[in-house]
Amino acid sequence: MSRHKPNAGAGELEAINRRRDVRRKTIPALAQAGPVSAWMVLFVTIPMLYIIYVSFMSRGVFGDVVYEFSLESYQTLLDSIYFKVIVKSLQVALFTTVACLLLGYPFAYYIARKPPEVASKLIMLIMIPFWTNSLMRLNSWLLLFQTSGPVNTFLQWAGITSGPITFIYTDPLVMLGLVTNMLPFAVLPLYSTIEKLQNSLLEASSDLGANPRQTFFRITLPLTFPGIFSAVILVFIPSLGIYTVSDMLGGGKVLYIGNIIKNQFGAIRNWPLGAALSVLLLVITGLLIFIYTRFAKLEDMEVV
Amino acid sequence: MKRFLALILALTMALALAACGGGNEPAAEPPSGETPAAETPTGEETASTELNIYMWQQYISDQVVSDFEEANNCTVNISYMSDNADAVTRLTSGGGDQYDLIMTCDAYMESLIAGGYVEELDLSRIPNSSNINPAYWSSPNHSIPYLGNYIYVVYNTETCPIEITCYNDLIDPALKGQITSIDGARNLFPMALVALGYDPNSENEEELAEAYEWLVKYNDNVVAYGNAEQNLTNGTASVAFTYDGNASWAFAETGGADSPLTVAPFTDDAVQLGFDMYVIPTGAKHTDLAYKFLDYICDPEVMAQNLEEFPYFCPNDAAVAAAPESYRNDPSKDFDYKENVFFQEDVGEALTIYNDYYQMLKVGE
Repeated sequence: MSRHKPNAGAGELEAINRRRDVRRKTIPALAQAGPVSAWMVLFVTIPMLYIIYVSFMSRGVFGDVVYEFSLESYQTLLDSIYFKVIVKSLQVALFTTVACLLLGYPFAYYIARKPPEVASKLIMLIMIPFWTNSLMRLNSWLLLFQTSGPVNTFLQWAGITSGPITFIYTDPLVMLGLVTNMLPFAVLPLYSTIEKLQNSLLEASSDLGANPRQTFFRITLPLTFPGIFSAVILVFIPSLGIYTVSDMLGGGKVLYIGNIIKNQFGAIRNWPLGAALSVLLLVITGLLIFIYTRFAKLEDMEVV
Repeated sequence: MKRFLALILALTMALALAACGGGNEPAAEPPSGETPAAETPTGEETASTELNIYMWQQYISDQVVSDFEEANNCTVNISYMSDNADAVTRLTSGGGDQYDLIMTCDAYMESLIAGGYVEELDLSRIPNSSNINPAYWSSPNHSIPYLGNYIYVVYNTETCPIEITCYNDLIDPALKGQITSIDGARNLFPMALVALGYDPNSENEEELAEAYEWLVKYNDNVVAYGNAEQNLTNGTASVAFTYDGNASWAFAETGGADSPLTVAPFTDDAVQLGFDMYVIPTGAKHTDLAYKFLDYICDPEVMAQNLEEFPYFCPNDAAVAAAPESYRNDPSKDFDYKENVFFQEDVGEALTIYNDYYQMLKVGE
């Protein structure tokens, strides 16, 4: 005991220093990340845990949740119908992602090669439609393309078609709606990586005898992979769960996984099954991101 | 560890995005303000100053509501539902007592009463309820019917390729892509069951399986679910399986009495008649105002004014008599099988069979 006494002063000083150090680091960190973390915990983590919890409960006679452990909802998921729905939802999400990349990449490239003042204006053009509510935009597609709408009227006036064409409530219009809704989520991350691409590298490539195609596939594309990866994640995941677009533009004829989840919580009133479906969707998403991290470093992901 | 954290972050972000993508249902705004009980300890004896109602959107005249507010010196907060099941969920999953009046439909009444989710009504406090035709009043001790809806077929005589006199005409391949239809398992299956000659509220699995097969053919002819009046007036569809209120607007927009639209002259098949009714949820805080509102809405003059704006089928005979000419001569009410109706009944556990087939129908092959 007494042997330690001479060192006590130094130890105390060290402890005080350490504490001050901790305080110096934690307070700004708390101030910066605290509000967002609190928001996320309150509105994402807790509801998510509740959903997982409900998915293991059972359904009451009146459509209420009975708090008794049951695996019934997960057993229901084995039904082939859910497999079909998920395959269909994955197809739509995949299509949307590919379309957004094919349309978004050249556009982002075009913007990124412009001088900054012009580029920021072009980016604004992408953002402006998103100042309106998405339901409003979807409704305007319906009005434009309806049987007696402007598009049909114009086509007939110009003599291109003899009678009205049914555009609305068809798959192509649903795809159009999805792609326009998701395009900015592809363009913005792509833009931010392409913009960082150094011209000198492209010049070097052509100086060394590469043709533009070789330069694109061997220099530009690999260097912009992080942007492509984040564009894929940002587009694919929301389009997997989205249901409003197909509901409105598709006439509610086809159900996707999002519709089925919505119905379980609404019309059908089977919350545990709806929760189990949400968990399934989460697992699929998590799995995709996991596979993804095998191919790309997640730390490289560019999100504007 | 860093990778793991990044993964969690990406997941959380993805979730937040997914959440943005969905949800067109207006979240019911929590009723604001203080309860009158907080102002005075005697609560019951003092008049409430707010009334919270949960009901369908576009279903009550603003004028009628503001007149009530003025007369009773109170605020009426109306939150809107997007589905009948929404209201039932509110009642059964707790929190029904946030509201003083909730709108529900006859199909759910039995289980709501059995579960003790709604208050028993004291009809002596609603003297105007004597105007309601008892034939349309399925649970007089627990509900006040508000307005009703026929679910029937309307078609455009100029563009529809065939004449429609029964449900089976709707699966005629000639109508491919021509029908705009209301949605929901409990609206679609009864039609198929009647077409097949079964009980519209069947709980028999084999009958429902047959009804499903029938609906697969029907589904082929449907261009869209929902938006009936729009699709009918802009020419997207030539046939509508819809509510009489929606049909009424479609008639008005296409020329009223001269409209090319007609209510299908059904010969034998019964049509569905459903009522939306107000119930007082168990534990409601402002029952005094709720009773006053119920009595007010049953007043013939008030209801007649409401009908002018919302021309649905009305179970209040005195109000129909007092309603304007436009309501009584509405072409959407001009059909002669008004008595040949069936009601939606509680099918209990069989509802899961309905829902399973309904999902199969919509998911397709």
